[in-house]
Amino acid sequence: MKLITDLFLTAFYTVFVSNLVLGSGFGISEAIRVSTKPGSFGRFAVMISGFSVATSVLCSLIDSLPFASKFNYALRALLYGLVLAAVYIVVALAAKLVFKATDKFMSTLGIAALNTLVFAVPYINNSAAYSFAGCVGSGIGAGIAFVVAAILINNGSKFIEENEEIPEAFKGRPAMFFYVAMISLAFAGFSDKNIFG
Amino acid sequence: MSSKPSFRDVFLKGAVIFNPVLVQLVGLCPVVAASTTLQGAFTLSIIACVELIAICVLASALMKDIPRWIRVPLYFIFGLVLICPVLWYLETKTLMNLSLGMKIYIPLIAINSVVAVHCEQFAVKNSVRLAFYDAAAVGLGASGVFLIAGALREILGSSSIGGIPLNLPVTFSGMLLPFGCLVLLGFMAAALRAFVLKRYPEFAEISETEKEEEPKEEIKEKERNLAEEPTAAEPVAVDIGFEIPEIVPEEQPSEEDIKVRTESEIDEFFKSLGIDLSEKGDEQ
Repeated sequence: MKLITDLFLTAFYTVFVSNLVLGSGFGISEAIRVSTKPGSFGRFAVMISGFSVATSVLCSLIDSLPFASKFNYALRALLYGLVLAAVYIVVALAAKLVFKATDKFMSTLGIAALNTLVFAVPYINNSAAYSFAGCVGSGIGAGIAFVVAAILINNGSKFIEENEEIPEAFKGRPAMFFYVAMISLAFAGFSDKNIFG
Repeated sequence: MSSKPSFRDVFLKGAVIFNPVLVQLVGLCPVVAASTTLQGAFTLSIIACVELIAICVLASALMKDIPRWIRVPLYFIFGLVLICPVLWYLETKTLMNLSLGMKIYIPLIAINSVVAVHCEQFAVKNSVRLAFYDAAAVGLGASGVFLIAGALREILGSSSIGGIPLNLPVTFSGMLLPFGCLVLLGFMAAALRAFVLKRYPEFAEISETEKEEEPKEEIKEKERNLAEEPTAAEPVAVDIGFEIPEIVPEEQPSEEDIKVRTESEIDEFFKSLGIDLSEKGDEQ
């Protein structure tokens, strides 16, 4: 029961309280770019969750080694990075050789696997000292957080495009930045961060 | 792009007109999350710049024949191999007191989308020399944004610059959050857009790459809608210089006439063959 509670609480925290994309800025470039393709949201959610969970679990196994506490950040970064790269290469090879995946699918797989969000999850797990279930929960939460961010950005960008009252210099990217800033501010409110002072 | 772009073209487009952070929206993570001080932004920009140049040159020189799905993780691994020793050096051999955030964000530069995007879009399609120019230009463009954002965030959020206190009467700690940086980036992107609109208007709309890359799903949906929607033939008044006379249709034969004529023609046809249909019908 504790495992399930840990898993759900961590996932909930990762998505809503401290949204890793909008609240911390991980994978925000990819979320903005993917937000223009609503048809791919489900695929990205599954892929990012899968890669995050696999990487987090393997990295938590490395962290559980008796001498792991002596690792400095540079060595930890190298190990986590190699784990992520290995997970991606195994999945990509399986997709390419076994399932004969298309180039488009492989491109999506690359974006979903190799981004700052997936790479940051093991660090967050390590610094927050999450349990095994917590690591799985934060991995799942990362995928959901990404899609929540992409959906919110997608909805706002439609209004921005339709709004004729935006001054010429602020049309497009600048308006998008302000809109994402407002959503980010909303998530900062959830996490009880101080804005003034 | 012409076959042999000049250094000026590559630099102007890479650093200013198509600025990686403000226009292409790549590499936002380090600037949004980590560049909260000028010193941090300087460290990140130097590392990002060197890494980008090294990997773009490497990609252009050695990786052109490797499939894309293998190239992308290679950029990441090479990035890690370059960055981890730097982080180790900063962590252990210098007196630079790196924050926990910086220790996490410096390795994240290895997986930065700027590297993958520029290696794939430019480096693997061009010569080593041009890849170097492009990477240098893009790196400088990104570094400029990192430094401006870092300095402004430190001034407004911490009331200091480069660690020197400014003792401003008001501080706005929201600037240290991603929200504050995104607002700053919005103003910087607007200033850049105003400059491009004034000096290089031909690039103002091209830089909106997302409009070019319209999702295929949306195009298909539009095509489906067009096929399903009945086209409303609205009258359009066009002056062509003369009047078209009204066309009066000829009087058409009624259905009864057609039926009678057809039946008699069939009877005649069969009679010519020696068959009398009326007699057979009577017999039945």
